[in-house]
Amino acid sequence: MSNLKELPVSVQIVDDHPMVQGGLKACLSFYDDIIIVGSTDDGSDALNKAIELKPDVILMDISMPTMNGIDATEIITEQLPETKVLILSMHSNPEFVKSAIQAGAVGYLLKDTTSEEIYYAIKAVANGKTHFSSSIAKLLIDNPVNTNESEKLTTREQVVLSYLAKGKTSKEIAKILNISFRTVEAHRRNMKTKLGIHSLAKLISYAVKHGIIKN
Amino acid sequence: MIKTNKRMILPIKLLFIAVIQVLLTALITYVLVTNEYRELSSQSLDTLEHFLVEQKKQELKNYTALAVLAVDHLYQTSELDNDVAKKLVTNILDKMTYNGEDGYFFVYDDKGNAISHPKQPFRIGKNWWELEDGKGNKIIQILISNAKAGGDFYHYPWTKPSNKKISEKIGYSVYLEKWKWMIGTGVYLDNVNLQLSQLQFEIDEHINKTKNIILILALSSIFVIFLFGVTVNLRQKKQTDEKITELGQRIVNVQEDENRHIARELHDGIIQILVSIKFSLEATKMHLSKAVQEVPKPLQHAEDNLVIAIDEIRRISHHMHPQILDELGLSAAIDTLSADFSDRIGVSIKVFKPRARNLLPDFINTTLYRIVQESLINIEKHAKAEHVEISLSFDKNWLTLIITDDGKGFDINSVSEINDCGIGLRNLAERVEYHLGEFSVVSSSKGTTITAKIPKSSFENYFNQTRVKNNDNNGDIEFGQ
Repeated sequence: MSNLKELPVSVQIVDDHPMVQGGLKACLSFYDDIIIVGSTDDGSDALNKAIELKPDVILMDISMPTMNGIDATEIITEQLPETKVLILSMHSNPEFVKSAIQAGAVGYLLKDTTSEEIYYAIKAVANGKTHFSSSIAKLLIDNPVNTNESEKLTTREQVVLSYLAKGKTSKEIAKILNISFRTVEAHRRNMKTKLGIHSLAKLISYAVKHGIIKN
Repeated sequence: MIKTNKRMILPIKLLFIAVIQVLLTALITYVLVTNEYRELSSQSLDTLEHFLVEQKKQELKNYTALAVLAVDHLYQTSELDNDVAKKLVTNILDKMTYNGEDGYFFVYDDKGNAISHPKQPFRIGKNWWELEDGKGNKIIQILISNAKAGGDFYHYPWTKPSNKKISEKIGYSVYLEKWKWMIGTGVYLDNVNLQLSQLQFEIDEHINKTKNIILILALSSIFVIFLFGVTVNLRQKKQTDEKITELGQRIVNVQEDENRHIARELHDGIIQILVSIKFSLEATKMHLSKAVQEVPKPLQHAEDNLVIAIDEIRRISHHMHPQILDELGLSAAIDTLSADFSDRIGVSIKVFKPRARNLLPDFINTTLYRIVQESLINIEKHAKAEHVEISLSFDKNWLTLIITDDGKGFDINSVSEINDCGIGLRNLAERVEYHLGEFSVVSSSKGTTITAKIPKSSFENYFNQTRVKNNDNNGDIEFGQ
């Protein structure tokens, strides 16, 4: 651990706007203990790049063309548990923050914060802490994120559910989604807790009723 | 209003013209047919009268010839002044009656003295030379002169024996030269007249019947025209209304799309550029501090103002279209709305919703979002509610959104008219109906319930489409956006 601290933090930027990418890079380049190792402009490319680069921290935008940052975060944290995702978004809505945290983000910054705060946040999450912009932190205090059963299914969980409904086993799903068997099992467990459902059959009928899959 | 009137006037004008046409046709037909009838009938009546009278005359001639023949043997064999023969002849003639009581023979001499009259015996033995009929003609003189001329007819009024009434009578008289006798007889024409007037009555009946038929035809034509007109009018109005509603919804959709587009442009375009400028300014600041130079105040100002600008544009963008709808779906957007509402009003909202996300297409999302938004505005403005409940649920065929509050209720009409910052419940109802759904507002003093139901069939295709699309793009991701 002490060894890691010496190394600069590798950062991957995911933002669909090249000018923002450029500005961020320009600001963060002043800090010697941070290296920008790569950048992608869409959530769907971010995963491949992350698998290739294995960055310590990903600075993730939310609104992007084909896959949004929250769904991308869920998949990345599922596959690269070592990589910390720090959301950098224009959205200050608590629902976005909640969804991001559910998806596995460990920090949430607004894009109008200073680059200095971004730097501190990167450092903090790289060291296993969480970091939220002060306005976001206030939001979280007013609207605490529930992890209890009243929460919504995440996009990834819905994907797993749709495969379950098609008759796939956890093993098969793990293979299709390129994740571990234990992760799929965890998704199933979480879904059952969230929906208060205890059997696979009921889980599937819930999916059919809500149009997650078509019968 | 004016437009509607204009649209209505044309068919009514046409109807009016059609009705007048029918009335004119009916009238003309009536006049023509009646005239034709009258003309025909008067002709045939004349012909008939002439024929009947001629028949009567012929009868009279025959009767008279018979009568003369009956007494001929006595007349021929008697001498000039054989009173016995004369008496016998008058007796025979007195007994010769026909047509019941009304056909009889009378005898006068050439001076007008009545010799025989079976129905008016008081005349016998008296002189009636100067007797006049109702028209002032000296009847006996004319009858005698007709007889002397070889027999002829004369019309005059005379008392009819069978009913003792004065009737028109045709008299025929012949002359017995040797005895200077005028033998006459006559028939009454009241029968003929009765027959004729009977016929006239029947013809009038017929004309009346025709008139009634024409009247009924005209009235039923007018009725049919009106019915047709009203039907066409109603159908046109319905079609126009439908078109207007559809157009209205298309305008709303275009507007929402445009708003979404502009909001997105602002949020994902302009704001991002501003953010990049902000980072550039920060980079400049860092450059300066690295070179151990003081950061000029205008630079700091620029950065501060930029942050304000970003905030402002974000606010505008959100107002135009909440991006959370597109990114996180309806449930999250409703959560945000209700959280804002609770913060602002201090009234708690319970939200029940499915625990899945991004299930609905944009147009349904937007419509339901606007319903919640509008309902909360109404509750805030009018209801004075203590509890609000929002529930979004799926059942077999319907997606149902229910918003209930325990406020004092409101007059539905006044709300949809007055509320100038909202969209109006009526417009929302139209939107829901446009998606083939049902919309209802029930308001009483105990609270208000707004229900919107949208059939799954209205967006089921969307699932399949997005699924196929997303499968193509991402392989394993089934829920896009």
